[in-house]
Order: sequence, then C-alpha cells, then structure tokens
Amino acid sequence: MHIPDGYLGPLTTITLLAVMVPIWWYAAKIAREKMGDRSISLLSMLSAFSFLVMMFNWPVPDGTTAHMVGATLIAILLGPWAAVIGVTIALVIQAFFFGDGGILALGANCLNMAVILPFVGYYTYSGIMKLMKKDTARNRAIAAGIGGYIGINVAALAAAVEFGIQPYISPGYCPYGLDMAIPAMLFAHLLVAGPVEAAVTGFVVGYLKSQEDRYSDILNVEKWVSGGD
Amino acid sequence: MGKRMSKAWIVMTALIIMAPIGILATWNYGDAWGEWGEVQVGDNETWEPQQYGGAPLPDYNVEGWDSPLMASIGYWLSAIIGVSMCIFITLGVGKAVELWRKEESSGNDGEK
Repeated sequence: MHIPDGYLGPLTTITLLAVMVPIWWYAAKIAREKMGDRSISLLSMLSAFSFLVMMFNWPVPDGTTAHMVGATLIAILLGPWAAVIGVTIALVIQAFFFGDGGILALGANCLNMAVILPFVGYYTYSGIMKLMKKDTARNRAIAAGIGGYIGINVAALAAAVEFGIQPYISPGYCPYGLDMAIPAMLFAHLLVAGPVEAAVTGFVVGYLKSQEDRYSDILNVEKWVSGGD
Repeated sequence: MGKRMSKAWIVMTALIIMAPIGILATWNYGDAWGEWGEVQVGDNETWEPQQYGGAPLPDYNVEGWDSPLMASIGYWLSAIIGVSMCIFITLGVGKAVELWRKEESSGNDGEK
C-alpha cells in the first residue's frame, strides 16, 4: 500500500501533505497531554513492530503481494493518536532509507496507513465492544480482528482512489484509473492482507486480555485519545 | 514493565530472524499493486514513475545482492536497521515532547 513517488500528480501530492500537517500537529499536542514513560517506550516497540510486519510480503493470487500494517493494534493498545505517530515514523524511515513508498507521497501514505487505518480500526473495535455484553478476551479478539480487517481495507480503498483518480486529474502520472485500481487493491487486501491484519490484531489483543494480571501495566497504560473518545 | 519489555524483545527478535520469509515467500511474485518501477501501458509503450532521489537500501536490500541468500542477508540487515531507527526516533520524539511540555509549564509559571 506504499504509493511510490511519481504515481500521484502535484494536486493530490500537495493536498494530502497539507491535510497531514494539522493531523501531525494535533497528534503532537495529544502526545504532550497524554504521553507517559510507559506509553512512549511501548510505542517505540510497536512502531518497530509495524515496520517489521510491513516487511512480510504475502503472495496475492493475481501475482502481486500485500502486507499487514499493525496500525489498529497500536490504536487499540495506546489510542489512535499514538498510532498516527508510531506508523508515521515507520513510514518515514521506509521512504527515506528503503525506498518503500515515495518521499513526496508521504502525505498520501501517512493519511492511508497512519490515520485512516488506525482510526477506522479503533472505532470499529470500540463500537463492537460496546455492542458486546461482556469484556472477555474472546470478545476483544473478535472485535480487534474485525477492526483490523475493516481498517486495512478502508485504507486500501483510499489508496486505490488516490491512484485511480490520477488519469482524470493529472495525466502522465498513475496510468490506471479507478476501474483498475479499486478492484486490484481490494482484492489484495480483502483476501490476503486483511485476514493477516485481523489475525495478528485479534490474537495480540485477545492474548493480552487473557493474561490480564501479567499485562495489567500494558492494558492500563494511558491511551492517547482526545477529549471525548 | 521491564519483564514485559523483555518479552516484547523476544517477539521482535523472532520476527527479525523470520524476516527473510517476507521476501522468499514472494520471490517469484511481482511487486505490490501500484509499486512498479515500470508499467506496460500500450503494446510497445511503457510508463515509468518519476523518482526523486534514491534510498541507501532500496527494497530493503543492498544493491547487487540479488540471489535469495544475499537478499535474505540484506533483508536481515534492513530489519535490524529499521527496528533500531523506529525505536530511537520514537524515543527521540518522546524526548522532544517532554521538552515541549517543560517549556510550556515553565512559561506558565512565568505568567503567574
């Protein structure tokens, strides 16, 4: 889901970078308010975890590959604003040092994987948990798995739209329109990356809850959420 | 937290050791959709995305390490570098936020 440089025209590139600036600023303000020693050290590990799981490319039957991101897991454990910062850091390192995802495309990639993914995943998870009668490990695992699955697919759809609108607004950039981009991106993420994201997110969240006594410090760490969440 | 963190390190180390699976499992596959260096657009026509600058370890590998074994070593190297950088930069951001917090509170004291 890492859009390389050269695929997005200037209009999309600049708009999405402009959208990200206030989001990063707000995330920093939330960090100033909520950050503690435990949450920042946990976030440093989870940012590295996200970086690592994105290196695991999974084969997609159409001959391409896809990977999970881990952003919903960070959002559930530490709050969605922590996920914005943790995943952004992983994406910046990937873009500058490993050429995975473009440098000018960082606005788009961060919006998809560091904002849309964790927020959709987090609110799907917390919405399902409100519907569940009991706060058990099993229920948390199910809700987290569904959250991860929906989060990564909405993010993939956003990336597909960003790719696919180029032929209409910026000729000379991504040559494929929405009719190609949306089915291809959704195929890879509904079928491959989504189930991986769901399994890992569900497993970790359920496991931590099942070992509640041992992991109470992680489970009770202050979440980076804004006022009303 | 100390013990919890050491367990997190075990998971992280295991993932680093397994990282080459991430490239070997898709060895004969193409790139992820939309991440190609060159695209066939017509019968004889190709389209290439414009690049801006290069990365030191493109595609998580050392340039020229093309065999599965060397690419795996490149992948390990990249995983170790990437993990270290994520941890240091996140902790650095945390330090910056802490300084910002202190500056803010000392500023407020000044106003009182």
